[in-house]
Amino acid sequence: MSGSEGVSQDFESLYGNHHGWLVAWVNWRLGNAADAADLAHDAFVRLLTRPCKFDNARHARTYLRRMANGMCIDLWRRRDLEQAWLDALAAQPEPTVSSAEDQAMVLQALGEIDAMLRGLPPRTAHAFVMAVACEMTDQEVADVLGVSSRMVRKYVAQAMLCCMKLEARLAGGLAGEPQPGAA
Amino acid sequence: MSAAQGREPSHRVMQQAAEWYALLRSGEASAAERQQWQQWVERKAEHREAWGYVERIGRRFSPLQTSPDRDAAVTAFGQAASAGRRGRRQLLLGLAGALGIAGLGWTAWRQTPLPIVASTWGADQRAGIGETRRVALADGTEVWLKALSAFDVDYGATLRRLQLVAGELLIATAPDPARPFVVDTAQGRLQALGTRFTVRGEDDGVVVAVHEGAVRIDTAVSRASGIVPAGRQARFTADTLDAILPVNPAREAWTRGVLVADDTPLADVVAELRRYHFGHLAVAPEVARLHVFGSYPLQDTGRALDMLASVLPVRVRRTLPWWISIEPRA
Repeated sequence: MSGSEGVSQDFESLYGNHHGWLVAWVNWRLGNAADAADLAHDAFVRLLTRPCKFDNARHARTYLRRMANGMCIDLWRRRDLEQAWLDALAAQPEPTVSSAEDQAMVLQALGEIDAMLRGLPPRTAHAFVMAVACEMTDQEVADVLGVSSRMVRKYVAQAMLCCMKLEARLAGGLAGEPQPGAA
Repeated sequence: MSAAQGREPSHRVMQQAAEWYALLRSGEASAAERQQWQQWVERKAEHREAWGYVERIGRRFSPLQTSPDRDAAVTAFGQAASAGRRGRRQLLLGLAGALGIAGLGWTAWRQTPLPIVASTWGADQRAGIGETRRVALADGTEVWLKALSAFDVDYGATLRRLQLVAGELLIATAPDPARPFVVDTAQGRLQALGTRFTVRGEDDGVVVAVHEGAVRIDTAVSRASGIVPAGRQARFTADTLDAILPVNPAREAWTRGVLVADDTPLADVVAELRRYHFGHLAVAPEVARLHVFGSYPLQDTGRALDMLASVLPVRVRRTLPWWISIEPRA
């Protein structure tokens, strides 16, 4: 199909024009050349799976920088979370019985939940995760956080709404994605 | 794009769904509130759509809920969340990235929609969730209503008429030579010829199973007609009348409080159990097509679910006593 050929040509020229500066820019943000190369690679893979049409080089630069910036933040976040997870596992009084595979799945789920809740104040997000993941009552969460159970109810509703809106926006955004070649 | 957005519930409905969720899982919801929630869900398609979002979000937590290390996971999350303030200051235009990464791992989780009981409100006779009712009419005719079923009664001088509003009825008519007995459905009319029969309204037609006597069918649009004798059943729509087949004895079992599955998909079994279960009962798409055989008690859905879990590769997760999901066994 001529359409997909056009896309792959576009992609090649995009890669040729922008890969170099993007790696340098990410390296400057992360201070690590290996991470920078991985991340820039992932950014282009993402562009390949969800192609975008750019009006000009400036537009492409802005878009790529924005995307890479978000990915840097995700990477820091993920590492924070991973470290906290390893610390928490090590701090358990009994050694864990779960397999490395199960642990990886938990971390994956935790990362996705974290991405969903990122727009919320930390206390709200924490209350929500505690309530839902540990299936605790409002009163139990309230006792841990030192707030009223009424407040916990509010946190849970607020966090759920935030996730629902995000999910709806993603569903709408994916459905409305411009088709490759359709300018 | 407009189609996808057209289906998206309004902000207000999303908010209501989130508030219902917060109440229901708080540990403080009363039975009356749970019933109000059920009514809220069933009232509008938009409400069900919004509730679908709640379920999809809730589903993201199941790897944590079932992990032996869930407390450690939640502690880690709390620490990372408060440490994240540092990261947040660096967040220049991070939202685009957050959306991107969340989008990659996002998988839709659809639950089959709850049966709609709203249509049964206002009918002369109805059975709610979990009940099988027996109604004796003025002429001695007896009608059993399956859970979540309803009908209207219209007895005149020359005709005894029932209107099926929703669900399934077992009717044992009393003889009255002067006044024929008919059941009207959206798809056509049934006339009892001295009889005991069940009539079941489905999304795409009506199924009549005759246990004694015979029933005459007249389809609403094509005006096709046929007589179904005892021991036979037939399905019809407003313009089609399918072949007449031997009756499935399971058709009548619900009047005795039994669900008989005979090579029935799990999703259909669960759809039946939902009529008898107060609260949320979901089945994961991976196991929805499993084939089920055997008899299950309708009035004790808890036991029915345990029985299913013992014969199928599924597990029944009870987040709360009335909030139940059937999932693949790990």
